Amino acid sequence: MTAAESVSAATDPAFAEGKYVYCIIRNDRSREFGEIGIGGSGARVYTVSHKDLAAVVSDTPIVIYDPTRENVLAHEFVNETVMREFTLIPMSFGTIFRSENDVKALLNSTYQAFTDVLDKMQGKIEFGLKILWDRDLVVAAIERDNDEIRRLKDEITRNAASSTYFARMQLGRLVEAAMEEASNRYVNHIHEQLKEVSVASRSSKVIGDRMILNAAFLVERKDEKAFDEKVKTISLQYEDLLTFKYTGPWPPYNFVNIKLKLEKAT
Amino acid sequence: MGLLTNILLAPFLGPVWGTKWTLEKVDRVVRDQLTDDTPVKEDLMALQMQLEMGEIDDDEYVRREAEIMQRLREVREWREKFGMSTSGGPVRVAESGESDQ
Repeated sequence: MTAAESVSAATDPAFAEGKYVYCIIRNDRSREFGEIGIGGSGARVYTVSHKDLAAVVSDTPIVIYDPTRENVLAHEFVNETVMREFTLIPMSFGTIFRSENDVKALLNSTYQAFTDVLDKMQGKIEFGLKILWDRDLVVAAIERDNDEIRRLKDEITRNAASSTYFARMQLGRLVEAAMEEASNRYVNHIHEQLKEVSVASRSSKVIGDRMILNAAFLVERKDEKAFDEKVKTISLQYEDLLTFKYTGPWPPYNFVNIKLKLEKAT
Repeated sequence: MGLLTNILLAPFLGPVWGTKWTLEKVDRVVRDQLTDDTPVKEDLMALQMQLEMGEIDDDEYVRREAEIMQRLREVREWREKFGMSTSGGPVRVAESGESDQ
């Protein structure tokens, strides 16, 4: 289905309603989570159960949801709401089944894997930590602390006219290497301190040229306060150099990886 | 025929082989680019970061998000044309046991 078709499908009453799946939880009674579903019209969010597992769903036309901020936040808000009471396995954004029976078929066919992961994730939450630096500040700190670089720079400044291209090249190379070393040192130091208060961590690719760390940490709910405190302490240590973007608690997005055997339902 | 033919006709055959091989390679490169949504998703994450850091305002975000969504739709269409799997949209448990996601 192309995007253009999917838009018209949304308004065509001939298309049967589907079920948008947000997450899987362990719960054997039916539950309501309010009118907070994706799609902008306040769809009712409820559970579809199979044995002691339940999928958290809302009714939706059969469409492809673009990952716009609005849609992603709606998906996210449902999971945050469910997470207050349950350990959950998040579904990937945009997953829609045609009927309640298709959702039950998913719970049935993946029962063991869901159960195992729910056991493993019981009482655990995820935090995100992105760390950015200000290149100018870091370069200034390096020039202050690194004797070799400081000497070379002074020399170039003193003999501005006569200093060679190679001296400048060498300075650039030294600064680059010192920055990479500094970045590794900061990141290792931070990881080391957070290891004590987390179960696991996973690093993703950094975004943009100012970021030096883009990581997720899996934390026991009972350690949430300790983790918070630790992040605060660390951010104070690096107050002058680094900017911390700390988010959560999230469902364990980066620590659950179940390959679902799904095919396109046409 | 054989080796001698190849040598004699080399100036003629050579470039033809070369062209065919190059076209196939270009074809593959183009196809890989058209069907890869990784760079688009990276752009979306970078855009969100810019908004979070206050480097762009809300209007700018909405405008550039719309462009990125359009690019994502185009990648999805190409993937469908080449019979590759796509994310989002209606799914069901695969009977064949083949993973589609």
